[in-house]
Amino acid sequence: MKRFFTTILLLMFGFIVNAQELQINGNVISATDQETLPGVSVVVKGTTQGTSTDFDGNYSISVASSDAVLVFSFMGMRTKEVVVKDGGIINVELSEDSALLEDIVVIGYGTQIAGKVSGAVSTVNKKAVEALQPVRAEDALQGQATGVNVIGNGSPGGKPVVLIRGIPSYTGTDPLVVIDGVTLTLDDLNALNPNDIESMNVLKDAAMSAIYGVKGGNGVIVIKTKSGKRNAKTTFGFDSSYGIQEVTNTVDVLNASEYAAILNEASSNAGQGLVFDDISNLGRGTDWQKEVLVNAPISTVNFTASGGSDKSSFYLSAGYLSQEGIVGGGDKSYFNRGNVTLNYNTSITDKLTFIANTGFVNIQGKSLSENNIGSVLSNALNFDPMVKPYDENGKFGTSETITQEIKNPLAQIDDTHNENNTNKVTGKLELQYDVIDGLKFTTRLGYSYVDVYSKNFNPLVYYGVGHNSTNAHEDLSPIVTEDEEGVKTSTHNRVSESKTNYISYTWELYGNYNFNIDEMHNFETVLGLSMNKNSGDNVTANAQDIPFNSWDYADVGAATGDLQSQTSGSWQYVTRNMSYFTRINYDFDSKYLFSFTGRVDGSTSFGQNNKFAFFPSGSLGWVISKEDFFESEFIDNLKVRGSYGSVGNDNIPYQFPKISTFPKYTFDGNIVSGSSMQSIPNYDVSWESQVQVNVGVDLTFYNNKFNITTDYFQKTVDDLLFSPTLSLYLGEPINPPSNIGKTKSSGFEFSFGYNDTYSNGLQLSTNVNVTTTVNNVEEINNGDKFIWGSGYGIPWKDLTRFEEGFSPGYFYGYKTDGIFQNQDEIDNHATQDNAQPGDIRFADVNKDGVINADDRTKIGDPFPNFTLGWTLSLNYQNWDFSTFIYASVGGDIYRAYERNLNYTNRFASTLGRWTGEGTSNTEPRVTFVDNNDNIRPSDRYVEDGSYARIKNIQLGYTLPQSIYNSSFLTSVRFYAQIKNAYTFTNYSGYSPEISSGVMDTGIDRGTYPQPRVWQLGVSVKF
Amino acid sequence: MKIFKNILLVTVLSFFGTGCTKWVDYDPMETYEIVADVYFQSPNDYEAALVGVYDPLQWMYLNILIGDIASDNSFSGGESATDVIGIQQIDNMLHTPDNENLTSIWKFCYEGINRANYLEENKDKLEFDRKDELYGEVSFLRAYYYFELVKFFGDVPLFTSRRLIATDSGTLTRTSASEVYAQIEKDLQVAIDVLPETQSQKGRATIYAAQALLGKVYLYQDKFTEAASSFENVIGMFGLVNNYGDQFLKTGENGPESIFEVQYSNESEWYDWEFTPQGTEGNFGVIHNGPRAFNGDDYASGWSFNIPTTDLFNSFEDGDTRRDPSILDIVAFATNTGATYAEGYKHTGYFNHKYIPRAGESGAQTELNYLTNYRAIRYADVLLMAAEANNRGGIDESKAQGYLNEVRRRAFGDNDHDILKTGSALTQAIWDERNFELSMEGHRFFDLVRTGEAASKIDGFVTGKHELFPVPQQEIDISSLSQNPGY
Repeated sequence: MKRFFTTILLLMFGFIVNAQELQINGNVISATDQETLPGVSVVVKGTTQGTSTDFDGNYSISVASSDAVLVFSFMGMRTKEVVVKDGGIINVELSEDSALLEDIVVIGYGTQIAGKVSGAVSTVNKKAVEALQPVRAEDALQGQATGVNVIGNGSPGGKPVVLIRGIPSYTGTDPLVVIDGVTLTLDDLNALNPNDIESMNVLKDAAMSAIYGVKGGNGVIVIKTKSGKRNAKTTFGFDSSYGIQEVTNTVDVLNASEYAAILNEASSNAGQGLVFDDISNLGRGTDWQKEVLVNAPISTVNFTASGGSDKSSFYLSAGYLSQEGIVGGGDKSYFNRGNVTLNYNTSITDKLTFIANTGFVNIQGKSLSENNIGSVLSNALNFDPMVKPYDENGKFGTSETITQEIKNPLAQIDDTHNENNTNKVTGKLELQYDVIDGLKFTTRLGYSYVDVYSKNFNPLVYYGVGHNSTNAHEDLSPIVTEDEEGVKTSTHNRVSESKTNYISYTWELYGNYNFNIDEMHNFETVLGLSMNKNSGDNVTANAQDIPFNSWDYADVGAATGDLQSQTSGSWQYVTRNMSYFTRINYDFDSKYLFSFTGRVDGSTSFGQNNKFAFFPSGSLGWVISKEDFFESEFIDNLKVRGSYGSVGNDNIPYQFPKISTFPKYTFDGNIVSGSSMQSIPNYDVSWESQVQVNVGVDLTFYNNKFNITTDYFQKTVDDLLFSPTLSLYLGEPINPPSNIGKTKSSGFEFSFGYNDTYSNGLQLSTNVNVTTTVNNVEEINNGDKFIWGSGYGIPWKDLTRFEEGFSPGYFYGYKTDGIFQNQDEIDNHATQDNAQPGDIRFADVNKDGVINADDRTKIGDPFPNFTLGWTLSLNYQNWDFSTFIYASVGGDIYRAYERNLNYTNRFASTLGRWTGEGTSNTEPRVTFVDNNDNIRPSDRYVEDGSYARIKNIQLGYTLPQSIYNSSFLTSVRFYAQIKNAYTFTNYSGYSPEISSGVMDTGIDRGTYPQPRVWQLGVSVKF
Repeated sequence: MKIFKNILLVTVLSFFGTGCTKWVDYDPMETYEIVADVYFQSPNDYEAALVGVYDPLQWMYLNILIGDIASDNSFSGGESATDVIGIQQIDNMLHTPDNENLTSIWKFCYEGINRANYLEENKDKLEFDRKDELYGEVSFLRAYYYFELVKFFGDVPLFTSRRLIATDSGTLTRTSASEVYAQIEKDLQVAIDVLPETQSQKGRATIYAAQALLGKVYLYQDKFTEAASSFENVIGMFGLVNNYGDQFLKTGENGPESIFEVQYSNESEWYDWEFTPQGTEGNFGVIHNGPRAFNGDDYASGWSFNIPTTDLFNSFEDGDTRRDPSILDIVAFATNTGATYAEGYKHTGYFNHKYIPRAGESGAQTELNYLTNYRAIRYADVLLMAAEANNRGGIDESKAQGYLNEVRRRAFGDNDHDILKTGSALTQAIWDERNFELSMEGHRFFDLVRTGEAASKIDGFVTGKHELFPVPQQEIDISSLSQNPGY
């Protein structure tokens, strides 16, 4: 700051010019975005002589001697010194100084200087996003921001699970997303081009997120997109990358010979005859995983232009991303996204500024069944390896023994036909009125309009005679049957088309008033209101008998089925919020920090007896390093801070007693519509309020080269919202949510960074961060003290629970205790009905002498004890290198992709099965009649899901300045990148990162693997 | 000045805000939802709610399958020993409280009861012409659901005045079976007082349905006198069809022998596996009974559950015309017609011919839409129950013989097979006859338990335990109910 004023003074009072001078010209640009920097101060060191750069970043200066040193300084940038030597042209890049206290943090309804923040915020800047090249913005938060746990999704464009500081809520864990002040949801991030991101700030504690009140309970991700700079020459950018995605590992299943032998053994163990008489020439058979897993391309192209005059500025970007699926390939599985974004602002008058951000996105996709029991991968793992992919006639091979659900995965891919097309317009219109110095009013209309069209076609299919999915003859003609009266009935193909619109808008009006008293007492205040409406509506139409059984004709209008078979449906929803908010930040000389935030929220979701809620929070900070008594050359900045407050959650449907007109019955052979009471309201239900406590320390030392931030937090919820499982004798209505539970989450976050530039020009920047979270359900008042979360299989097996005294979503089942080696062991064990030697011995957990449902207990917890991210980046001359490693330690995975039906394929572990006393104490005998229910949910299927993954390795080379000095180019950079380069894990499945909702976390139903990506890219600026 | 401006700002903003609190009120009409507060204002609403009470009858397919699988009549079957594990366990008498199939029976019956009670709760809102009769149907249906519960689980929570709401969860305890029976009797008496002899629409409960069910309920309690007199009201009002097998065909639905029949249709265009059996109008039980991978005339592929045993097939006397309509000999059929099929688990070569998937009788997703009605109470059943009541109650042996032989004459087409036994020999003959007449219709297990024959007929049956099925573990966990003995 001081230097800045000095420069101004210099400019004001003129220069002293010497006669025998070297003339120096040049251009100053920002190292981060390669944009020209106007207004940079250029001073000859040790003198008062200086100048500043013009609108195009050019400067011109004369110096007395070749020993002179030029000092380039600019607010927010690291000051750079250059020795003049021979003079001539000296072009300079200034890099951003993230360690500087003047860093600006974008928070709710305003910004704050980082040094004055007394809450908990994690920031990920555009550099990190650019280095990671994510498909979705959330992916760039993984391991980069402390307190954020991102569980990635390998599927093209797939939404990851994002947990900010634990799982305090049962009803939804998605954080709020705010893009350029417009409140959106995590789902909206599929439409954001990561290339447009300027910064992402994660508001973690109540002090920061309470300004978003009832929406802030799961944390807030505040994203600022790029904008143009005023008085800057228009710059253009072109970025493109191309990569190949591949699967990194496959699951060991039996080959055809092993499969046949095991089936024969299982059959004879059950007292039945051999299934296959001759198994000698079966060979390896078909490796179904090899058949369905392919290498698939991923590519991106982005164009940007930005600049501005003295009255306005703009940022224009157009991008396209195309990602094909590694399961099944790009014909049936892809995610294509095209973005056009224009961020524009202009000064209407001196006091009135108008801002319009507009983003248009088109997303197209096709998908194959994934992460469930009917998925392509599940079929690939469990299908008969003796079947050939194609039979001698070129048709898909069919199994004679497997006639339920599981099918030839290639046939499944071929028979899957769907498409999705999403158009989305998001943005804002904003007016800012500067009344007087420090007082500004802002009114903003944020909007999001989404139009989703989707189509699904179920053709007539043939998976073999008698397969329960078969609905056609082998030639795909419909199966026509005739009853005794000669009435014919046929099977049909079927098409479904649906149109869904989601409209949300938020209107906000607020005033910011910043002032100080006696230069020491600094106030930053906000007061405002916000009105929000979200709505969605859908129309769906179904029809049957598509001509030629062909996707090409799959259209409701083209269907030839009779009128009765054409059905339609619709749904709609609407929610509204009304809020008032305020924040007062006060600091005394940037030394003592105080902040108060409050928000009053009304929501349509709340019961009519509880319409409005108040969410207050406060925080305190003390910048010790600014104290007079604190004299340290070593420590640059030391701050301690603490916050306390409450935020909420209104993730519940509105409450009313709904009469459903769905029930029907048949009288006289005619279907008659009826009614029933479908949902029971709870008029007293209200917001869930989370009380959050945070304490933290920020420390920078050794010339700002090292920085440490550490935080401890605790979140408690005393009025947890959920729909409890009520007594079954209430029948089947939808039970209302209630505020009946308590949860507690706590955790510790630690981040350590080191940045330095060595004398040889090597720049090094590294950061290690660790996040731990412990979640506990303290109380559930629903009688049995738990709710089943999720499970797996056909028939369904419950597995995860939300239970008092445990972490949410933990695995519940039997504990195994080896294998019964002989009858004696069975006789000496607690009564375990129907066990035979070779069967699993289940532990008598409650010691009552009987193995039954009461012996089930905790057998695993899918959430990690801690996660760790390590980033390293190096710059040397024109080379840059960055790498990122992410580790998740202590989470368990439940292997739920094993079907274990008599004729389905088995897994390699079966080869080590029990075949007689002493042969195995881990893997039970194989048998067609499993009276011991060896496949019941047990720790047999639980594995340690800890892993460390090299998420990113990138090497870049920027062409030297000399090459394009004479051309229109300003910067050209090439890079090579490997994403998900290698994973260190003991887990036997595809990927230890399993993302499908909180209560489904860690249940591997054949999860979509995270692909390894080999990628090359180029980035050009001109 | 600055302070004043701040105050002004606060005032303006808060004035602006207070007018907007309506913004967060929600009216269900905005999304076209019907709310209870505006319901029950016209007779149509009552009629619709009554349809809602009938609806869960269609979900009871497992009640019927289990009636035979749990008995000596049929095996579980299916694809393998792990195919629908709940059914496999019941076949082997190894069922445990966490049996999901039993849990669904419990839940479905209670949904029916709650829907009936919801009408009870709103009884006083409106007077209209058909009201008494409508409430007679409600009472009949509630009795039907409670009878299913008491047959399966014995003591069960009993409530009749209103639909339960969230705050009722966990507050009830099990009511003794005798009190539940008393309520069933009371409901059926109400129904008998108001129900007509014939209904304009087939499928609705009549006075005879109520009297027949009441007789059955008495018989299950060994109240022979009451049972006999209740059956007497029905006897003579229906007749036996000439050709036994005809009544199980589509053309025989709601025929002269049918007293109460659960109605199904194949026209609901149902495709959704997830919300089955609740969503479909089809009979989801039927697909379970079909031969696997069937390719041929007359029938359609199914899942080979509920496989009649060879003993059952062989138990029929020569000349009994009921064997073949009851049990399909698939081996013989395949030999005669060239049809093919695959053998499932516990294959015997026999299938449930009464409720087999028949060609052309389904629609949409074929597994989910079979139109086959379930003949819940047949006149032959009533005759045999009346015979048993007269015999075991020592009321009238000749009447007992007469009713029994009326059934046998239809079966054999002559009088040569009349049974003239008396006393306990007659009792045994009636019990045996019940299975010849009613096998594979879901009655056998409950008859064996009721008559004390279960332990001698069913492998693995433990006396003192298996008479009742276990109360679902989930319900015990949530509602702290007691468990039946032995589980």
